[in-house]
Amino acid sequence: MSTMALRRRDQIGALSSRSVLSLVRQPSLVVPSLVFPLFFVALGTASFARAINIPGFPKVDSYLDFALAGSVVQGVLFGSVTSATALATDIETGFFDRLLVAPSSRTAILVGRLAGAMVYGLAQTLFFTVVLFPFGLSIQSGFLGLIAMMIGGLFTALAVGALMSAMAIKTGSSEAVQGSFPLIFILLFFSSAFFPRQTMDGVYRRIADLNPLSYLVEGFRSLTIDQLTLTAVLQTILIPAAISVVGIGFSLRTLHNRLAAS
Amino acid sequence: MSASLGIATRSLRNVRRLPSAFIPALLMPVFQVVAFSGTYAGVTQIPGFPTDRSVNWYLPMAVTMGASFAGLGTGFSMIRDLQTGFYDRLRMAPTSRRQLLLGPYIAAWVRACIAVVLVTIFGFALGARPVGNGLGTFSLFIAGIGMATIGTGWGLGLAYRFRDMRAAAIMQLTLFLGLFLTDAQTPIPLMDGWLEYVARWNPLTQVLDVARIGFIDGIRGRDLLIGMLIMIAISAGAWLFAFTGLARLDD
Amino acid sequence: MTSTQSPIIASDLVRIFGSGEDEVRAVDGVNLEVTAGEVFGFLGPNGAGKSTTVRILTTLLKPSAGSASVAGYDIEVEADAVRRSIGVALQDAAIDPLMTGTELLRLQAVLYGIPRNAQHERAGELLERVGLSAAGDRRVGTYSGGMRRRLDLALALIHEPSVLFLDEPTTGLDPMSRMSLWEEIRRLNNDGTTVLLTTQYLEEADQLADRVAIIDNGKIVREGQPEALKTDVGAPTLLISVADDHVEPAREVLAQFGEARPTAEGTLGVGLTQGAGDVSNVVRALDAQGIVVEHLELRAPSLDDVFAEATGHRLEGAS
Repeated sequence: MSTMALRRRDQIGALSSRSVLSLVRQPSLVVPSLVFPLFFVALGTASFARAINIPGFPKVDSYLDFALAGSVVQGVLFGSVTSATALATDIETGFFDRLLVAPSSRTAILVGRLAGAMVYGLAQTLFFTVVLFPFGLSIQSGFLGLIAMMIGGLFTALAVGALMSAMAIKTGSSEAVQGSFPLIFILLFFSSAFFPRQTMDGVYRRIADLNPLSYLVEGFRSLTIDQLTLTAVLQTILIPAAISVVGIGFSLRTLHNRLAAS
Repeated sequence: MSASLGIATRSLRNVRRLPSAFIPALLMPVFQVVAFSGTYAGVTQIPGFPTDRSVNWYLPMAVTMGASFAGLGTGFSMIRDLQTGFYDRLRMAPTSRRQLLLGPYIAAWVRACIAVVLVTIFGFALGARPVGNGLGTFSLFIAGIGMATIGTGWGLGLAYRFRDMRAAAIMQLTLFLGLFLTDAQTPIPLMDGWLEYVARWNPLTQVLDVARIGFIDGIRGRDLLIGMLIMIAISAGAWLFAFTGLARLDD
Repeated sequence: MTSTQSPIIASDLVRIFGSGEDEVRAVDGVNLEVTAGEVFGFLGPNGAGKSTTVRILTTLLKPSAGSASVAGYDIEVEADAVRRSIGVALQDAAIDPLMTGTELLRLQAVLYGIPRNAQHERAGELLERVGLSAAGDRRVGTYSGGMRRRLDLALALIHEPSVLFLDEPTTGLDPMSRMSLWEEIRRLNNDGTTVLLTTQYLEEADQLADRVAIIDNGKIVREGQPEALKTDVGAPTLLISVADDHVEPAREVLAQFGEARPTAEGTLGVGLTQGAGDVSNVVRALDAQGIVVEHLELRAPSLDDVFAEATGHRLEGAS
């Protein structure tokens, strides 16, 4: 039993490091998920400098403080599509089949792939924060808040990665996974990622109220612009963690179906 | 001329046969006008914002964006034709190089018209209303065609020079940056710092002004004239960029 | 075009790609003259410079040095006139999979300035000619490799060109499709069209070409009629088999006609110094000695032998 557990740990380790390495070795895949969110933050901070005083806007020192949460979530979402695309490519090239015929555990294969996304999600959160500090970013909840955000980033990557992986396993097409990029934009724009819900109105406001992404972003945002509260920490970590559980279950079932079908 | 029409017809027919290459370019600006007007609905409350309808501000942006991507679409098709070798067939025909180039332009104008009309319809449905006599809708259209012309020249020129998908990435990224580094999101007087400077000097800001003149207060006839001249100048430059690119194919 | 001038003339054509360390001389001083009504075969392995030469002659690429004229027009100065006179079927049949055969032919007709009212008829005629009438309204993406090549040929013929360039017209085709394309090329040539075809198939050059040029590393290493080139390589080999007790006398008889050649066991071989015409003399001489010939075979040198002799290596994918 213990040797089995050990072997599984080795497998997860090996597959995780492969998935991390594959990100490091393909900068063309990684760079957009780092640069685009920063570009939007820069653009927004310059464009909406005077918007922070309009009614409905939370009390912030600058639009930059407000926007960090949106860009972290945006970056992690982009990054997760990248790792799911890598999984789909593995299926296309037949590498995935090679893993499946090896006496390795199914969960290890999936978790190994997702572990790369998790590490990357955590790193992205840190990266955005560190890069934006010199431009006047302040984290009101302090160091502990930052740690909470990084864990939140990790779980967000896991949640989105798992859902996207289900899609990758189901379609086996990297093009289909890449094609979900617009979907991510739609989810982001119909949420409070870029502007407060309180300033929106009509149908739009109602959609943003229903969009789980709004609450995820607002958790991160609260940690940036308010003092540390347990609610904010839980919001930042538990929402993506809950989605992760659903996502992993979903992708394992998809994997199971794929194996049964083949 | 008939050769250009022949080439344009083919490229439009292919749009119908390969809709997956055109539909996203059509949906993107529709999404933009919906998403930007909705998410940034509050911007009109910033003191000094020149309209009280956010869609009035974002509709012209989505139209120019959509039209220029309709232009870039011909660049994508060109990459495909260059890679399959089909374009060699066109180049070997005793057709003047000008006609060879005019073909994709005509196709781009038709595609841009579709995009501009569709986005404008969505914009009006979301509450966009022209100020004054409504003639501004016409200059919105003109700006759309102008941006399509610029996008086509830029896209073709890059396609001829790189001949592979690198060109597609570059044309999208540059045009995207070029259009966003303007007063796309908020008016220049409301901006802060670096963007204010960049947007002031970015000529595409003036082209956007042409698109906006009928929808916001404060743009005058003189701005319209300058904007039109700049648009024509960039279009001519982009045409030249495409034309020299075409000549490079036989080097 | 003056009637005395050959339809394709190239002098010292050079084409260089890249520069410095990466410089490649794809075409390195090619001289060619194809006379009117001829089928000229351009033979060489992949990357030898065949296609680059064709791209230069068809105005798709400018030469780095040298000059050429096609149909009497300079390829650089009078490119448009050259384009009007030539038909070209390109390697990998560059056609748009989204279009139908008829649409492609009509676009081609528009590009070559064929009057609108004649376009439809011309397209129908050509489809019929290459046996694609039934498939004319289908998208080219659904065509087989052979159909694509035949459509490609039809496209090249839209304006009844006097000079036809065929760049590896049968590469990748099954034997049946290849034969039918050969038939069509012969028919065109009989109608007076000058044809330059590149190929990496020796058999194709042998079957179709009046003259061949062998290109290797951008240079033409042999040129002439296939028969003459083969003769140059050496005498044909006559192989005979006789009853066991006649082997020694037969060997003596054969020695009068040329050098003995190594053969498989039970067979005798001789290189006929006087050529294939000597076979009857050999048979008569053997008969005079009362030697009964059980089997007789004359093996001519192949273009592959010519190629090997000229370049020092065998042709890749030789058939």
